[in-house]
Parts: sequence; C-alpha cells; structure tokens
Amino acid sequence: MPEIFIDGHPVQAEPGQSVLQVALANGFYIPYFCWHPALSVAGNCRICCVQVEGRSWAEISCNLPVTEGMRILTDSDVVREQRRATLQFITLNHPVDCGICDKAGECTLQDYHYAYNGRPSISLEPKVRADKFHALSGRILLDNERCILCSRCVRFTREKSKSHALGIKRRGDESLLRAAEDHALDTDWYSDNIIDICPVGALLSRSFLYKARVWYLQPVPSVCPGCARGCAVDLWVRKPQWRLKSLAAKQNTSIMRVTPHGTPGIDGPWICNKGRDLARIFERPRALQALRKGQPVEYGVAVVAARKLVADAKRAVALVSNWGSNEQLTAFRDRLGTRFTVYIKHDHMPQSGEPVEDDFLIRADKNPNTAGAVALFGARSDRAAEFPADTDLVLVWGEGCDFTRLPRGVKIVFLNAYLQPENGHADVFLPVTIQMERPGHYTNGDGVVQAFVAAVAPPPGVADAATLFAALAASEVIPA
Amino acid sequence: MNRRPHVRRQYWNAPTMSWWERLYLPEIVRGLSITGGVFVRNMWRWMTLRKGALTTYYPEETRADYAANNRGKHILTQRPDGRPQCIACNMCATVCPAQCIEIDAAFDPDDPAHPKSPSAFTIDYSRCIFCGLCIEACPEDAIRMVRMVPDFPGRDRERMWITLPELLSWNPQSDVAKPYPGKTGTATFRESR
Repeated sequence: MPEIFIDGHPVQAEPGQSVLQVALANGFYIPYFCWHPALSVAGNCRICCVQVEGRSWAEISCNLPVTEGMRILTDSDVVREQRRATLQFITLNHPVDCGICDKAGECTLQDYHYAYNGRPSISLEPKVRADKFHALSGRILLDNERCILCSRCVRFTREKSKSHALGIKRRGDESLLRAAEDHALDTDWYSDNIIDICPVGALLSRSFLYKARVWYLQPVPSVCPGCARGCAVDLWVRKPQWRLKSLAAKQNTSIMRVTPHGTPGIDGPWICNKGRDLARIFERPRALQALRKGQPVEYGVAVVAARKLVADAKRAVALVSNWGSNEQLTAFRDRLGTRFTVYIKHDHMPQSGEPVEDDFLIRADKNPNTAGAVALFGARSDRAAEFPADTDLVLVWGEGCDFTRLPRGVKIVFLNAYLQPENGHADVFLPVTIQMERPGHYTNGDGVVQAFVAAVAPPPGVADAATLFAALAASEVIPA
Repeated sequence: MNRRPHVRRQYWNAPTMSWWERLYLPEIVRGLSITGGVFVRNMWRWMTLRKGALTTYYPEETRADYAANNRGKHILTQRPDGRPQCIACNMCATVCPAQCIEIDAAFDPDDPAHPKSPSAFTIDYSRCIFCGLCIEACPEDAIRMVRMVPDFPGRDRERMWITLPELLSWNPQSDVAKPYPGKTGTATFRESR
C-alpha cells in the first residue's frame, strides 16, 4: 500500500489508484468535469490538475497513478493559475445563459466558476454560436453551446448502456455532440442517465424542461416499482416552503423528475428510462370515491359492507398485490391471513415495446415486491392457479386483475388506487393510497430490503391498505 | 392562592399634570373647542360647495402626490414585438422575502434567442412588502415598479393577485431600456451551414 502526501497530510492509497480517487476518498476535494467514478478516464477537461512537489508544472490528477511517497499539492499557486486558465478556456464559447438553463443551481461549471475563477471572460472574440435545442432523441434535447465536450455521455453509451449511440463530430470549437447514424439514442433504455452525468446544462430532459428551478425541489428517497431490480431513486417534489399558492396546485403534489439515489450495489448511479417516467405510473387518474356495486357510498359504509362480506364468506380467496409494501403484506397476513386462501397477484406485466429483461438493470418481473410477498405467502401466483370450486368471495388488492377470470357469481371486494373500469364491477370498491403517499419497504428480486418514504400527502378519501385490513378484520365499526 | 397585590408600574415618562390641568373641566372645554372648530370649519366649506376635510375617498379617488420614485405596483417590460422581456428565470421569486411571486415557464423551440418565457406570472399583493428586491435581482430589467399603487380593495385575497395580462399592460413604446432582438425564426447556426 503506497503512502502518499496530499497537501502535507499522509494518506494510504491502493496500488493502481489515481491521485484524484485517493484525494476524494480521503476528503480532499479536487474539481473534475470529465472524470466520473463509474466511467473510464478521458482526461480532457484539465480542471483536476494538481502539482507534484518538485515539479514546476501542473498535471491532471485523474490520470496520475499514485507512487510511493508522492507529494501532491492541490492548491498551490501553479494549480490555482492553471484552474483559472482552464475555466477561462472552458467558458470561452459557453453562452452563460444560466437564467434559462435547467441545470442552474446544480451545475458543476457554475460552482467551479464561483469557487476557482470568479472573473468574467477575458476573451475579446465573439462567442461561437451553435445549435440550441437539437433533438438528440424523443426524450433529450442538446444545447450545443453549453456543451463543454467532456464526453461523459459518449463514454456512458459506449461503456454502460452499450448503445454506442453518441459521438462527437468535427473538431475544435466546431465540435458537435451528435447521435450516431446507425444507432439511435431512442432505443437506448438508459439514455436519460446522460442528463444526470452532464456536468453542465447541455443535455436537457424534455419532460423536465422549464418545469421548475432545481432549488425549489427536494429529493425524496424512494424505490422504483418498475421491476424486481428495485433501484433506489429520488423523487423530486416541491419543497414545502416553495409550494405554489396562486398557480396550478397540482404542481405541489406531482413528481417533477426522478433521479437515481446512487445506492452502491443495487444500481449504482444509473436507472433506466422507465424509472424516469414514474410519474406516468403514479399520476394516472386516481379513484377517490368508495363504491358499492358501482354506486358511490360513504367510505365507512363501504368498509362495513366489505367486512360483512368477509365475515359471511365460506370460502374466501385473496389476490394480494405485489405492489404492496412489506408492512402492508404483513398487516394482511396478521389480520386476515387465516380467513383467506392467498394468491399473489402480479399487478403489472411487461408492456409491448418495453424491454423485458437485459443484462444491465432491467428485470423480467415488472413488480417491485414479488419477493416480499412470496416470503410471506408462498409462491402461489394467480396466473397459474385455479381457484377452489366453492369460492364465494374474492378480495382483489391492486390493479391488473381480469375479473372475467374469476369464478362466476363470486362476491368481489376490490382495493385499487386508480380510476379503472373494473372498480364499478366489484361488489365493494375501496380506494387506497399509492407508493408515493406512504412509507414502507420493498424486497427486491435479489432479496435486498429497501425503504421508501412518503413524498406527498394522500388525497382525502383514500386509506392505506394496511389500516383497511385492520378495519376489515375488526369486529366493531371503525370509521374511515 | 396567595397573590401579591397589583402594583402599578412606574414609567420614566409618566405624565405629570399641573394644577390647572387637574381642574379637569377647563381642559375638556379646550379639547372640545379644537375638534369643534375643525368640524365647524369643514362644515362651512362643505356648505359653500368646497372640499372640506382632507379625506381621500379611496378607492374612488387615489392620491396624485406619490413621489416620482415611489415603489408602487409591478410591471413587466416588453420587447419591441410585445412579448415580455422576462425569461422566467425565477430570480425575483427566489429573492422575494415574502415569497409572493409565482412563475410558470413556457418553452418556445422556434425562438432560440428567447426560448423561455413566462406563461403565468402572479404577484400576491396580500403578501408583497414592496421592498423592490425583485427589481434588484432581475438580470433582464424585465420587472419594474411604477409610481401608482396597485388596485387593492376587494373582499377576498384572490382579488389581490396581479396576473400576467395586467403586468403587461404597461407599454410605453420608447421606454424599454434594453432592446432585444426580435423573433429570429431562422437563426444561422453552424449546423445549418
């Protein structure tokens, strides 16, 4: 283990590590644009320069392997001057249109400018104009003026998503990031990651474009329910102190964007595009009204009716949702498990056009908590099994159940969060919360248990399924 | 319960009264003569068809003597083609200590010189403290405060929200301090060369 000295402090390094890795691991900050912990070293931005004591020049630390007894200076006069010059060079043709840039507030170039340069451009030449809002794909816009040509996105498509969809053409100040002619970025299911790793605001998400400034938002740690991988994600919602009062109130409860949480081991810093579009799953029209044979009733009346059905049933079958959290599934087992024959219902199946499984992140099971449900109730799936012949009550929890497959004449108690035609066909329908409105845990396909927290308050008139199970099992009336 | 008796607190500026004032009635008469004199004067002016008291009948009448640099209601400046100069960067909304500015942004891909503009711009005058920090923060000279005060009176708070059409109603043609290029449409880019 070589020992090196950073600014005079001795630190231990692994052989083969670069000076930048050792410095960041030991709490010394060296700025970097093009280097990324999960990508190969490109060494083209030159901002991570350090000085080796005894040498009169600065060199880039991301590509400088450690050697025994190396003495590194991260803040010498030479380094400071080099950083300042590098930032002048990088911003030579940068438009500095931070006011209309979605990255402003979390932009590395902005931060470094204030930390290491702080001076306006000394260039007398007019800035080179380039393409604004070039459509790289249906999801991503490219602002070529803002691009600093760090090539992180190019390396991501080559090393991680393997789509080889991006490249840089032409040279010098005419360089342009472009999609390759024979590979489209549209078919890259991980393409939105390049928006996150872009150190400036060159790559823009169309779905987030101009929706909110980033300092109005806060990340809420959650788990992507899109497949059994269970990537840890951050749901970005408006901060409570920045809730809108006069404009559309829907913005206060909607997911503005989804980014990877960056949990090591599960998914690292990447998620797929389906995870970016969680708003499309969660923000479908919600069911807010309890129904009894399709007629609106008070929530408490519906609960009483459902409890009567459960109490009177001779042979009850439950289809439990594998979108339920471990807490909800445990509540069902503890409260109602003895009265029901339990099957695990797969709420979501792969959609047409969606990749079923690949060797990077995406898993074939498109539900978040199948493993958690199987651990509690055994691997009895509703897709394969036949229901007992004398079934007279089916409790369906969650969407994606085809009522025509149920035995004829059975009573149906239905718990669902979304406004769907099946709701009206159930004998009793009870609206429930969705994942972003309650805390809980999911067990992913590899057996890892992860927590998520509530991002927004549930709308009035819906209940958490766990409390509902307690109400259905209770012998006394519990008002909703 | 054992309570201490109340002792009146002594203040350093406690009023002191002379012997004449302690007589009570002469001072009452003096006070009544002041208010009565004002009443009689105003009444006489009113009877001779002149304006009496200096009351302004707000909101039917508003004052005309605001200072020239009074920080009254907000306006948004406009480009020569009539669109707002605002780029919806939210600097004013962020710096606002009362958090009374709310902006929704629209995207116009056909106008690379001005792709971001406000689609909704609301100032809540029930919370605005007229500090003028929004004007200081604006990088585009897009928001200013004019001399006249906003039209406040109403029975609910919603009536005290000023919206985009009203903010854009201020339009002296020669005053835009920072002329901007109009809608270019076909910008000359490297790629299209």
